[in-house]
Amino acid sequence: MGRNETAHAPADDVSGDTEEFDPIGTLTLIGIYFTILVLSWVYIYYIEFLGRDLVVVG
Amino acid sequence: MHIHAYEKLWLAASVLLILLLLGSVTYGAVGPGVAMVSDSEQPVDATALDEDERFSEPRVEQVGENEYAAYVVAFQFGFQPDPIVIPEDSTVTFYVTSRDVIHGFEVAGTNANTMVVPGEVSEITVETDEPTEYGLICNEYCGAGHHVMEGKVNVVSQAEYENQTSGGDGE
Repeated sequence: MGRNETAHAPADDVSGDTEEFDPIGTLTLIGIYFTILVLSWVYIYYIEFLGRDLVVVG
Repeated sequence: MHIHAYEKLWLAASVLLILLLLGSVTYGAVGPGVAMVSDSEQPVDATALDEDERFSEPRVEQVGENEYAAYVVAFQFGFQPDPIVIPEDSTVTFYVTSRDVIHGFEVAGTNANTMVVPGEVSEITVETDEPTEYGLICNEYCGAGHHVMEGKVNVVSQAEYENQTSGGDGE
């Protein structure tokens, strides 16, 4: 049944480089998430933190 | 082991993100010279601050060319001196201690922020820019009057600073 189908796939994967499973949606979501992370880090650290007055230097 | 091409992509992205975080903290320390509150100060006797040469008379004094030291005492409920007057474009080191309980020393809206512990001296060095007035607040609950515990840090022009010190302030 379903087992037969899944048992089939790995054998394919190992031999060939063709990616049958193509989660482009997940890739897009992760890409957006990473962009947000990088932009907020740049804003928080370089603009908000370092841009403030009285940076503690010692 | 087979790893999907997309998975390799986001594994690489995570490693890059970690490197970016570590890299910018390193840049902050090396470039602009961001530092932590120093723990190198010797303890003082909180009950005998009036006999301490630095804190018996809380003040701002010049210690080098364009370098100033501000000795500040926090107490229930205020800061001394008030206002703390420092000159523009200079390097100021705050030495802050408490004569009663734990207080906070936060120059509002800036990165100058430290705990003030009785018996210990918190040392932070900052660089001032143009003349402005900052609020100074206590950010550690210190008693019934905590919410009214505030001071001022006034950054004034060099001329005004010299005027003030030579004119003899009544502190």
